[in-house]
Amino acid sequence: MSAMLLNKQKWTEFTGILSGKKVLAPVACGDRFRYAVPAEGKAFSLDFDRPLVPPKSAVFPQTETLYRFQLGKTELAAPQPGEELILLGVRPCDARAIKLVEKLFRWDVDDPYYLRRRELTTVVGLACLEPGLNCFCPSLGGGPASTEGLDLLMVDLGDSYYLEPLTDKGRSLMDLASGLLEEAGEEGLQKKEEAVRRAEEKIRRTVDTDGVPEILPDLWEHPLWQKTAAGCLGCGTCTYLCPTCHCFDIQDEIEGFEARRCRMWDSCMFEEYTLHTSGHNPRPTRRERTRNRINHKYSYFVRKFNVIACVGCGRCVNYCPVNIDLIETLREVKEAQ
Amino acid sequence: MDLDKLRKTAAEVVSRDDVKYLIGWRPGSYGYRVAPGFVEEASAAETLIFSPLCTINLATYLTLTEKLPLPRGSAPDQRKVALMVKGCDSRAVLQLLVEKGIRRDQVLLIGCPCPGVVDTALLSLKYPETESPADLKWNGDHFLLRQDGQETAIPRLSVLAEKCRLCRYPNPVISDITLGEPVEAQLTAEDSAVAEVEAMELGARAAYWEEWFSRCLRCYACRNSCPLCYCRDCVLDRLNPTWVNRAVNFSENTAFHVARAFHLVGRCIECGECERVCPANIPLGRLNRKLAREVREQYGHEPGIDPDGKPFQAGFKPDDPEEFIL
Amino acid sequence: MSQQFEPNIVAFLCNWCSYAGADLAGTSRVRYPANLQAIRVMCSGRVNPLYVMNALQQGADGVLISGCHPGDCHYMEGNFHARRRLGMLKELLEFVGVDPRRFHMSWVSASEGHKWKEVVEKTVEDARAAGPFEGFRRRRIDW
Repeated sequence: MSAMLLNKQKWTEFTGILSGKKVLAPVACGDRFRYAVPAEGKAFSLDFDRPLVPPKSAVFPQTETLYRFQLGKTELAAPQPGEELILLGVRPCDARAIKLVEKLFRWDVDDPYYLRRRELTTVVGLACLEPGLNCFCPSLGGGPASTEGLDLLMVDLGDSYYLEPLTDKGRSLMDLASGLLEEAGEEGLQKKEEAVRRAEEKIRRTVDTDGVPEILPDLWEHPLWQKTAAGCLGCGTCTYLCPTCHCFDIQDEIEGFEARRCRMWDSCMFEEYTLHTSGHNPRPTRRERTRNRINHKYSYFVRKFNVIACVGCGRCVNYCPVNIDLIETLREVKEAQ
Repeated sequence: MDLDKLRKTAAEVVSRDDVKYLIGWRPGSYGYRVAPGFVEEASAAETLIFSPLCTINLATYLTLTEKLPLPRGSAPDQRKVALMVKGCDSRAVLQLLVEKGIRRDQVLLIGCPCPGVVDTALLSLKYPETESPADLKWNGDHFLLRQDGQETAIPRLSVLAEKCRLCRYPNPVISDITLGEPVEAQLTAEDSAVAEVEAMELGARAAYWEEWFSRCLRCYACRNSCPLCYCRDCVLDRLNPTWVNRAVNFSENTAFHVARAFHLVGRCIECGECERVCPANIPLGRLNRKLAREVREQYGHEPGIDPDGKPFQAGFKPDDPEEFIL
Repeated sequence: MSQQFEPNIVAFLCNWCSYAGADLAGTSRVRYPANLQAIRVMCSGRVNPLYVMNALQQGADGVLISGCHPGDCHYMEGNFHARRRLGMLKELLEFVGVDPRRFHMSWVSASEGHKWKEVVEKTVEDARAAGPFEGFRRRRIDW
């Protein structure tokens, strides 16, 4: 199936087709958006700002039960995610991040939880026609309509959506709605490209990542880390909101005679991130932790998977309470060379 | 405020032999952001500012610095940390002194009387930010915003931070050097936000907090930004025993927020940092302000005012209220 | 017979007065509701608010904290501290939407077996009236 157009007047019918499935769509919570199952009877809307928590949380939940067990018994019950999921309104940067994180979960051992969820999820992207103040995705190989990691790309053309299937999953979703769609044709394609080009022009901030992975190891003891870390509060905002951060912690939780082992997001900005049982911490201060965050994204991940683990979504810059600006830090890294 | 005077004073302070470094505010990397500025040399004092955008409570940094074991034979650096404080920040410092969290000879305070800072989130909603750092100035009942060569007058009350609307101590309660003239405390408004929650039915109130606490990401920004949350080993981080599980759900989040708010009973100086830094916008200030008000009204205690006072939870009066006891 | 809701109450009793008072009630054959799980602590001032939160999270429908009368504390002032702290905890819990009938505090001395009975009856009655605690109970969320 080629690219199609969906008239916005048929949007309600389109969402009606999806209604039998579990759909996560951006839902307004105060003045922030987050991915959630829209409340009963409430229509999905694609009129939203960039959501606070990246959709990685749909495939890599903040808290995930790995298995349950009972005290005094040896059986384990491992819940397997089995529900198909449609992720609606995913920004191209976030979709790219899901693809990047997948490399980690396929590396070494295949992570059954992540991969199963990934397999069951159809990612429907929405091109980002109103980029935010701190968006810098083109600097990292993405773009307002990047298709990496998406099954289906939607572009808002004003009175209709342009739908471009990218994988079989995306195609089968479009097949379901084929009665509502019309051929996009050459004109639709042109309109889409024009919209995307205009969006690209609106992106103001840029990062020069050229050579950064190679420089970083040499800057290990550079004073810039001390400078960056001085203001850091050590909270997890930047890492929890990062679509590519994927560190996790595993804890056992007990309730009565039942217990469960869960995996939850961890953040390298926390003091106990690498705290050893002995009490020794190889990252004892915020300097080492700040350095780790940048190095992990721009150096370690590159060495392992040959790609920078940052998609330029700008969340860490937007939400850092003390204005630790990744773009500034990277500029300092380049200058320190 | 006279920025030249501020920078000159800062340069003088930093040049002193007994001062390690100075913590002030400097313009952020874009828009309305302001970052903490750590000044070690007199020349760097040129970057400092004091404007209605300086919301960050710098007192947090006094206790945030990690103390690593010293190399054998070296003596600890006993020099002072110079700190720029607004009214609320100075109360945090005073409360830290009362609790013996820091020593008086460890800090040098530069007091900045503060006519009230803005709610940056609100400001950027009403007057969108741009990528170049903006400048904001106090001007009577207006703020003057200079951004990309344009000047806009913004009515003060439309963007004033909630905590400043309720501020009773705009002038530093403790300082070594005071810059500028004292500010008159504004007519304090009723804390309508707390009253709004109080007026709800019990069930509605539970639902209200359930909605907010469910959104909590447990990034601990509220705890870490709080100048008075400075335990080296936080009970909420403990795993043995685990009082609050690491799982992020409404149940554990409630336990976390109740414990956090409780630990600030009689200590919270209402600087509003917890609320400002929260990425999920949880109205944590309401929790803290409610408790601060109860402490004030029921026990007549106000933290961060009296240098000879005793910490609220470490003391008692024989005639404390006990109507609730069976 | 209609099935009446039987609340689960967790009671933190100070070793020196209330626990002995409860003991006295028992040895004096005073009848009082059996909905209580008593946890002996050395002093009411030792009760951490996290104990209360944990009890509620784990399925208690009500919490009772009982200590010596003011001035009678074995540690001189432990119960004065408890009064301040738990009074504020009560305010806080009510503010976050926990029914105030679920949280009680009392002074029961070692000789007040009968007062203990009244306190327990009141606590159980109140918790029963408030119904099963759902709120932030762990099992309601994702257990």
